[in-house]
Amino acid sequence: MILEILLQSFWAGIAAIGFAVLFNVPRRVIFSIWTLGALGGLIKFTAIQFESGIVFASFLGATVIGIVSIQMAHMRHSPPLVFSIPSVIPMVPGFFAYKMMLGLIALTSIENTDAYLQTLIETVNNGAKMTFVLIALGIGVALPMLITRKESIKKSPFNKRKKANVLS
Amino acid sequence: MTIFVHPLKRISHPLKTKILSEDAQSAGNILLETGAMLMSSGASTHRTRLTLERIAHGLGYGVELLITQRALMLTIIEKDQQHFFSRLKRISPHGVNFRIVSGISHLSWNVLEDNWTIAQISDELKRLKSLPHYPRLVVLGLVGLAGAAFCRIFGGGYTEMAVAFIATVVGLFVRQETLRVKFNPYLCVFFAAFAASLIAGLAEHFQIDIDSDTAFATSVLFLVPGVPLINSVTDLMDGNIQNGIVRAMNGLMISFSIAMGLFAAKMILNF
Repeated sequence: MILEILLQSFWAGIAAIGFAVLFNVPRRVIFSIWTLGALGGLIKFTAIQFESGIVFASFLGATVIGIVSIQMAHMRHSPPLVFSIPSVIPMVPGFFAYKMMLGLIALTSIENTDAYLQTLIETVNNGAKMTFVLIALGIGVALPMLITRKESIKKSPFNKRKKANVLS
Repeated sequence: MTIFVHPLKRISHPLKTKILSEDAQSAGNILLETGAMLMSSGASTHRTRLTLERIAHGLGYGVELLITQRALMLTIIEKDQQHFFSRLKRISPHGVNFRIVSGISHLSWNVLEDNWTIAQISDELKRLKSLPHYPRLVVLGLVGLAGAAFCRIFGGGYTEMAVAFIATVVGLFVRQETLRVKFNPYLCVFFAAFAASLIAGLAEHFQIDIDSDTAFATSVLFLVPGVPLINSVTDLMDGNIQNGIVRAMNGLMISFSIAMGLFAAKMILNF
């Protein structure tokens, strides 16, 4: 089971790299993005193992990605969103979106009341999961940036370091 | 001893005189150019505003901004409040490019700390624009791998992963080609989703793999509008409600196009 989680995290990192290349990130940050994607995946899958539900698990993963991406931004001299957006995309609930879509299509043609009710329940469930996971991902990534921004750019101690500062 | 002057008069009198010097006008144009590049490459509204204010500060001007998704309005003011310069610029969407976002971030710090001149900024912007994308084959291959990775995450085996890889590569190819001939962007997404899910569905049709639902669902995930959706949340939480709503709507329309592409492929396969 632990091996499975590690493997899944590995592949989450690979997916993050695919998006990084699609978004044309600078070459020097690609490995960092793999690390972040895998880290986020590791936390999400572990949280799911502890039965915390997919929404909260995604939120945890995204928050950790958001926090680490700010550190990475200082280390690798690129804005945080360059790291956080590609690495959070592997957590996007594509499968639920797909299920919901299929359900909606099925709802247009079912005649039988019982089958209709069953499909309706599943569709609403999948749709709610998808919506809340998406919101959790967005807030999880945005929150660390909003919190650290409080110590404004001009006043933050990082500003005194020459060129090393690329925070927001 | 000072003579009392009504504050309104103090400001309004010099404003009548003349517009800004040549230098300040080119500063304003450079700022507009930078802002337009940032917005079209996928930076959030707050970041765009911050970067422009930082550059203007470095050049010794004050700046007021109105940032929307498709246009940028800027008024640049000299420090002594004597002159100002206003201009509006259209933002043309180019697709996400984080190399430009990263480069402009560096640029803004160079202006602030090393006192770059306007000519230097202009040269740097030109250089950033001409920076190459990754080679097409590399992009196709790695995004295909990402599709396979998605399939693995959602519990697919090796056959499904192979199907997802091929479907993603074909879908991305279709998207690149349709974007090149300048179709409507949502239509491009539709065609790409259609092509990708058709391939994944055909694999099921010819009984290549058993659980093709996974391949079917993951073959279109490379189209997911991650940047609009995440930037939308960031903008909404920053209080840039208008831009946030515009971005969310854009993301929803892209998702809807993906769904329509899937739907069309399903209809054809079930026919």
